[in-house]
Amino acid sequence: MSKKLDDNSDLKQIGKKRDVKRKTLPALAMAGPVSLWMILFVTIPMLFIIYISFMSRGVFGDVVYKFSGESYQTLMDATYFKVILKSLRVAVFTTVLCLLVGYPFAYYIARKPKETAAKLIMLIMIPFWTNSLMRLNSWLLVFQTNGPVNSFLQWTGMTDGPITFVYTDGLVVLGMITNMLPFAVLPMYSSIEKLNKSFLEASADLGANGATTFRKITLPLTFPGIFSSIILVFIPTLGIYTVSDMLGGGKVLYIGNIIKNQFGSIRNWPLGAALSVLLIVITMLLIFLYTRFASIEDMEVV
Amino acid sequence: MAVSKVQKKKKAFSILGNVYAVIIYAILYIPVAVMMMFSFNDQRYNYYWNGFTTKWYGKLFENSALIGSLWYSLIIAVLATLISVLIGTIGALGLKRFEFKGRKFINNMLYIPIIVPEIVLAVALLIIFLNIGTALGMGTILIGHCTFCIPYAIVTIKGRISGDDNSLEEASMDLGANRIQTFIRVTLPSIMPGVMSAAFLSFTLSIDDVVMSNMLAGAKQSTLPVLILSMNKAGVTPDVNALTTIMILVIVAAMILNNIIKSALKKRQNKEVAI
Amino acid sequence: MKKILALLLTMGLTLSLTACGGGTKDSGNDAKEPAAGGEETGGEETGGEEAGGEEAGKEEAGGGEASSELNIYMWQQYISDDLIANFEKENNCKINLSYMSDNADAITKLTAGGGDEYDLIMTCDAYMESLVAGGYVEKINFDNIPNASNINEAYWTAKEYCVPYLMNYIYIVYDKEKCPVEITCYNDLIKPEMKGQISTIDGARNLFPIALIALGYDPNSTEESEIAEAYEWLVKFNENVVAYGNAEQNLTNGTASVALTYDGNASWAMAEMGENNTLAIADFKEDAVQLGFDLYVIPVGAKHTDLAEKFLNYICDPQVMAGNLEEYPYSCPNEAAVEAASDSYKNDPARNFSYKENVFFQEDVGEALTIYNDYYQKLKVGE
Repeated sequence: MSKKLDDNSDLKQIGKKRDVKRKTLPALAMAGPVSLWMILFVTIPMLFIIYISFMSRGVFGDVVYKFSGESYQTLMDATYFKVILKSLRVAVFTTVLCLLVGYPFAYYIARKPKETAAKLIMLIMIPFWTNSLMRLNSWLLVFQTNGPVNSFLQWTGMTDGPITFVYTDGLVVLGMITNMLPFAVLPMYSSIEKLNKSFLEASADLGANGATTFRKITLPLTFPGIFSSIILVFIPTLGIYTVSDMLGGGKVLYIGNIIKNQFGSIRNWPLGAALSVLLIVITMLLIFLYTRFASIEDMEVV
Repeated sequence: MAVSKVQKKKKAFSILGNVYAVIIYAILYIPVAVMMMFSFNDQRYNYYWNGFTTKWYGKLFENSALIGSLWYSLIIAVLATLISVLIGTIGALGLKRFEFKGRKFINNMLYIPIIVPEIVLAVALLIIFLNIGTALGMGTILIGHCTFCIPYAIVTIKGRISGDDNSLEEASMDLGANRIQTFIRVTLPSIMPGVMSAAFLSFTLSIDDVVMSNMLAGAKQSTLPVLILSMNKAGVTPDVNALTTIMILVIVAAMILNNIIKSALKKRQNKEVAI
Repeated sequence: MKKILALLLTMGLTLSLTACGGGTKDSGNDAKEPAAGGEETGGEETGGEEAGGEEAGKEEAGGGEASSELNIYMWQQYISDDLIANFEKENNCKINLSYMSDNADAITKLTAGGGDEYDLIMTCDAYMESLVAGGYVEKINFDNIPNASNINEAYWTAKEYCVPYLMNYIYIVYDKEKCPVEITCYNDLIKPEMKGQISTIDGARNLFPIALIALGYDPNSTEESEIAEAYEWLVKFNENVVAYGNAEQNLTNGTASVALTYDGNASWAMAEMGENNTLAIADFKEDAVQLGFDLYVIPVGAKHTDLAEKFLNYICDPQVMAGNLEEYPYSCPNEAAVEAASDSYKNDPARNFSYKENVFFQEDVGEALTIYNDYYQKLKVGE
């Protein structure tokens, strides 16, 4: 009995050693470059941002390297709370829409033969190789007061005078979706495509109808892709400002605008840095809650 | 009877799917079509349709700054894609497969470039580069682009890696293949769609980036989006539309050519097999 | 966990110092060459050696002697291509133009310490005080710029440090047929019937002065109570605004009937509408309008100062500037050039207004800037 135990622990020891040899080097080789890159070009700059957020603003907009908690005090103002709430609302709305529009589309592509699917994916991406500002401007040209949509509506007699489409929330939403859609479709496509067809067939054979199969098999199995999509759409949308600037007429400020302005025209870098830190904390918190809520053991399920 | 019902349903679904896809593609392509149309607009800036002209295509070739910036953007985008996908692919595998200290930290770091507005990271990088005496230029832009492309690449690729690939890999290694062979023969093919998506995403992000490029560009050359952004205040001139139109046509032509070559090769292969 | 973090960070820091040189190596000679050049040696001239005859070498091959190139950072579509080409030809040099999308871009680069990348940077008068105080700009040797005497000194702020290029009135232009109100003062802009009619420039320091003037205060007020009142005024104004920015586009395509914009933009819009022009400049009786300058500064650490001065002298030449005005019909502080300009420039309807002398300037408001910005954010965020 005791001998057996010894044997076992010996085996474990050997296993461990083999593990170290088998795993340390590859781990270093594989995770090393990305870790190094992230530390050099993300961690260090971000530490610098945190550092600046505790400094104070000089009279002429320069950073005075003297400790101050003033920036964080400023954040207590109700204005910032409102801005963040507003930005969150837009981000949630855009994400939900992108998922609802994107999932069936990703599913459609994933069910096609591989070569066709590759072409279809390519077709999604091509518009995005053109400039996003110009694409947004195209929407303005289409919907402007004496643009084609208004002309058409008046020609058919549906309206008497021109309708103001430009600089409205509806156009902003359209712009958001057309800008973010590939970020929703690509990860979901990748996940759905991976889905083993035999599962679905088995499920159907066992008498499940389409809806049940979708709910019980397809959806759970493609969840990692959906999760990636949510991350890739939600988070950037939170910080985006070009769409609302161009299609919304710059009437509304989002958190992204405010941070941009602090680093740009207003030149209050400490406040801009503090706002960035706040944004990071909020987002991390949301991701954390989300992973718990969605009972994903760790963020890296992605 | 039941079968035909199922088939009918399937057919209806596939028609519905096609209609849906057409609508989505239409929404994606309307702005592009408008952009192409306005390359023929007879107006100093594109404010509204003012009549047909082809003069902008002539003007385009005189505008060496515009063409130069397109090349600059393309080179940066291709390099950024290569670097990001390389680091991203092996990084995604490494972060997914291996337990090591600080893994969670790196995983969290990956979210930062996605979360923070680009301007924050761009300004921080700018100050750091200037302080250590790195001159601004293609190198700094490239680093900036990779910094936000790598996280996107990793998130996309990770979604593709699953547990059962692991057993396949082990089987492959048990059968005597080494790590690199296993990687190329087993791992890579299974995550290939993820890698391709990552490459597309990276290229797309890089070629359209404004903020990083604007902050980290040197005095001598800027990218096309930065040039367009700087025009945006007054208005974009139609020669930029002309450039975009040509770019799109080249891409489409390349795709068609690629298809023709592929199908020709296939036919030949089939013939050889038949013989 | 903390220990590991600290370890990683220190490791990262040391690596960043050593690795950055290496990191840029594979990414192009563009970055490598000036890094090796160092600051005191003056970069490019010695750079050729390190660049090792690759692409970067080619760029340098143009001329061996000092200052064969000039790096300018300015607005896009704001200077004639012919002017640039002629200057290059006359001085046998290469001008690298790069463009900003916002005045803040130039300021950010200067503040971050990137000024030495450029020889000339365009900025505006409102920033001059802080740029001089921050030590970001060089004094200009006007002995080398005799043509500067053509410039009207009346409005020339921070004279030792900058050369004015063009100037802008921020005034109101409106469509006589579509606009519901005939506009003669700022207060007309907040009338309820103007809802959804206004396209305006953006920015706290552009809009608050207008509100302050409408209320009868100093446009550069530092009194919080006055700024708060101006905020209330702007809330009403904001309700009538259809869009911030893009004034020209919105006027010509019928989205807006009134624009608070630069005279240069009004000029374009009027020219765009041609014979059917229904745009008119608001006939102000009392209210002052803002006048701003776009000017060139030489950043501290500029490497081609001699050529920069030559360039400044060149653009101050009346004939050269007159040609430039033909292409870019903005207001110009160079009176000799305006004199030499063509009739079409002189008779531009966009500059045909009577209150050119009744102007104010953006001044540095010091600490009060924060108050302005806070109120402006509140305005855009809404209640």
